[in-house]
Amino acid sequence: MPSAAEKVSRKGFWRTLGIFFALIGPGIITSNVDNDAGGITTYSLAGSEFGLTLLWTLIPITAALIIIQEMCARMGVVSGKGLSDLIRERFGAKATFYLMIALFLTNLGNTISEFAGVAASLEIFGVNKYISVPVSAFLVWWLVVKGNYKSVEKVFLVACFFYLSYIISGFMAKPDWAQISDQLFTPTVRFEPDFLTMAVGLVGTTIAPWMQFYLQSSVVDKGLKAEDYQYARMDVIFGSVIVNIVAFFIILLCAVTIFQAGIKIETAQDAALALAPLAGKYCTWLFAFGLLNASLFAASILPLSTAYTICEAFGWESSLNRKFEEAPQFYGLYSLMIFLGMGVVLLPDLPLISIMFYSQVINGALLPFILIFILILVNDRKIMGNYTNGWILNLISYLTIVTLIFLSGAMVFTSLR
Amino acid sequence: MNSLEVSWMTMNSTPQVFLFLSQILGKKIVDPAGRPWGKVCDLVVTIAELYPPVTGVFFTPVGEKTSFRFSWTRIIELGEELRVEPLNVEERAGANVNEGELLLKDSLLDKQIVDTHGAKVWRVNDLHLLKVNHNLRLVHVDVGLRGLMRRIGWEKAMDKFFQWFFDYHLTDSFIPWRFVQPLSSPALLRLKVAQHRLAQLHPADLADIMEALDIHKRTEVFQSLDVETAAEALEETDPKIQVRLIETLNPAHASDIIEEMSPSEAADLLGDLPKDKAEGILKEMEKEMAEDVKELLVHPEEKAGGLMTTSFPALPPSSTVQEALEWLRQEVENLDLIYYIYVSDVEGHLSGVVSLRDLLMANPQARLADLMDSRVVTVTIEEEKKEIAQLFAKYGFKAIPVMDEDNRIKGVINFKSLLEVVAPQLGK
Repeated sequence: MPSAAEKVSRKGFWRTLGIFFALIGPGIITSNVDNDAGGITTYSLAGSEFGLTLLWTLIPITAALIIIQEMCARMGVVSGKGLSDLIRERFGAKATFYLMIALFLTNLGNTISEFAGVAASLEIFGVNKYISVPVSAFLVWWLVVKGNYKSVEKVFLVACFFYLSYIISGFMAKPDWAQISDQLFTPTVRFEPDFLTMAVGLVGTTIAPWMQFYLQSSVVDKGLKAEDYQYARMDVIFGSVIVNIVAFFIILLCAVTIFQAGIKIETAQDAALALAPLAGKYCTWLFAFGLLNASLFAASILPLSTAYTICEAFGWESSLNRKFEEAPQFYGLYSLMIFLGMGVVLLPDLPLISIMFYSQVINGALLPFILIFILILVNDRKIMGNYTNGWILNLISYLTIVTLIFLSGAMVFTSLR
Repeated sequence: MNSLEVSWMTMNSTPQVFLFLSQILGKKIVDPAGRPWGKVCDLVVTIAELYPPVTGVFFTPVGEKTSFRFSWTRIIELGEELRVEPLNVEERAGANVNEGELLLKDSLLDKQIVDTHGAKVWRVNDLHLLKVNHNLRLVHVDVGLRGLMRRIGWEKAMDKFFQWFFDYHLTDSFIPWRFVQPLSSPALLRLKVAQHRLAQLHPADLADIMEALDIHKRTEVFQSLDVETAAEALEETDPKIQVRLIETLNPAHASDIIEEMSPSEAADLLGDLPKDKAEGILKEMEKEMAEDVKELLVHPEEKAGGLMTTSFPALPPSSTVQEALEWLRQEVENLDLIYYIYVSDVEGHLSGVVSLRDLLMANPQARLADLMDSRVVTVTIEEEKKEIAQLFAKYGFKAIPVMDEDNRIKGVINFKSLLEVVAPQLGK
């Protein structure tokens, strides 16, 4: 009779692989939504305006992303509750209220940015924003409220293969790899407002506050047991790495094509030039398609996640299975976000690229405060039992928070001078 | 106000005041001369009574971090501050909670509770207390927007806003304590105060509530239920959640609960479980029930065979009405439906059907053979649910028998079982 250990190792590899694919989801989906309109814009601007000088930031950013998301995933698995749930129970109504207001406004900024992305991408095809935005807003609203969201999520996910085009483009452009790896490992910091703002923007778009709430809720929905936690961790690490690989290539490409040519990105068309090595004159179409997909995907998830987060914090009914009268705050918040998001983008002469960028800067500014909450929660024995942070993790997290606050402070200070 | 509050008011001619926990937490504790020596950080209540009295105070001494406890009886006066004779260091009791006690802030404030009257899960925004003389009792849980605004400090501003714009005064949203089931810890769920409150909910409501809770709480609530209530609630729960809940139990406990379910529901549930788990439970189950369930498991869930139940009334044609009623009274607990009696022989060949209504109107000595309606509408085991639904719609029956190839009755489909399968299509 084979021993238990022998049985496990024999089926070990395939079983692990099978379980991994059954359990992945939260980390990978979150990271794909992370590369939204704001993301693509910020990475493109980083490369086109600063060349390769900001490339090195991706390494600490990836590390921070993995650490933060791992903590949220761990909290989700061990406590079985969402992040806003935990915040309400630990910090009380007052703190939660102000946090939710800040989160709502920040996420509203992000939602506006998604619709700006839709407008910008369809402008490449000559579609006026007064048509593209309301239609897509309605489409997204209808999809979530009336339709079968899960199957559409799969379509969006598949379309994310678009990001491969950046990677392929990157190799086709035959850049100077020696110079790139040099820049990648050489930290350059300039205390100029533009540089610092871009740094904050990069952090904010990769580690968006709303993502932590979304990730933890997704992990809770999956219903993972504490024993299966290692799969959640793999998922999170895998997702985070993918995000940053894509970011790397976008920055790289824009540095090599647009920055070299001395072009400043004013419209999505300009940003699309980055894909010229791959797609030649069709680069604008390819870019438009990718931007549109990313924007719609995020526009479907982000307002919904915000509504869930806020309703969860205040104990309001929050389920798509309920009718409007039964969950008025939930549907109200969701519809309000879509409506305002759409409304702001439709204002005449709005600089779409700037909007997409600055919404990510706001993300970066709010992030340290959310981190403080997360850090207190993840170290609370009453919530996490034996799964609290080790001292190394705490140390790195404190350092991250201090660096981020310092960065935001420096950004504000230098721009006020 | 409810009757208890009215009787309180009339019984005691001394002044009564309603207070909120948010107003008391953080209050300064002063000595008789007025010098502050501590701050209130929580209140302890004893749960035994209908409206739990506050029996202890958790406090932090001025300038210190740790909390201690003193008994409520030490209170001299409760006003803007708490006037209490200061404690010596030896008199300070540790900040512990004993059996039968509850901490108001730690266990209730900002936590989730179940309103067993309205069958909903709420988050507690504040607690409503009644002060009579120097005694404080927990009367209501505040789950409304006003309570939330009070905690944030915007209550007055909100009132002005609503008054000015809409000429509207927002009322309080309270739930009386006797309807409240706290959820914040497994220990609280096991409290037996009068009757277990969750068991008083309709199973469908209880199922809704369990589905609304997060996974850990859901499991805790489920494991706190007695076997009958657990079975009833499980029947009404979403199949995916059913599986997750049963998987948390050992086979013996699981089989106890599944035995209380109707065979067709039990078969559906066992069919969704992983094979080894299902077999483990079947082994623990009572033999007869296990046989019934195994038979039902053979059939695909969406056809007649998967929808039917095997616990139906069947009697020989020679039985009298009186014998039939006697038999029904004895067997009613084990039957899934009682409205029709299927008149058949020992092998199950159906001769006719008698409704309960007919039975009640008939002469006690009449035989079933004379009363029965021999034009019985039946379906085969393989019948699709669409056809079954059409038959129900056409004839308006409450149940339809299911026959095998040899025309023997194998089971009966209850209208309720069909409704669960067809209802999702009605919604969209």
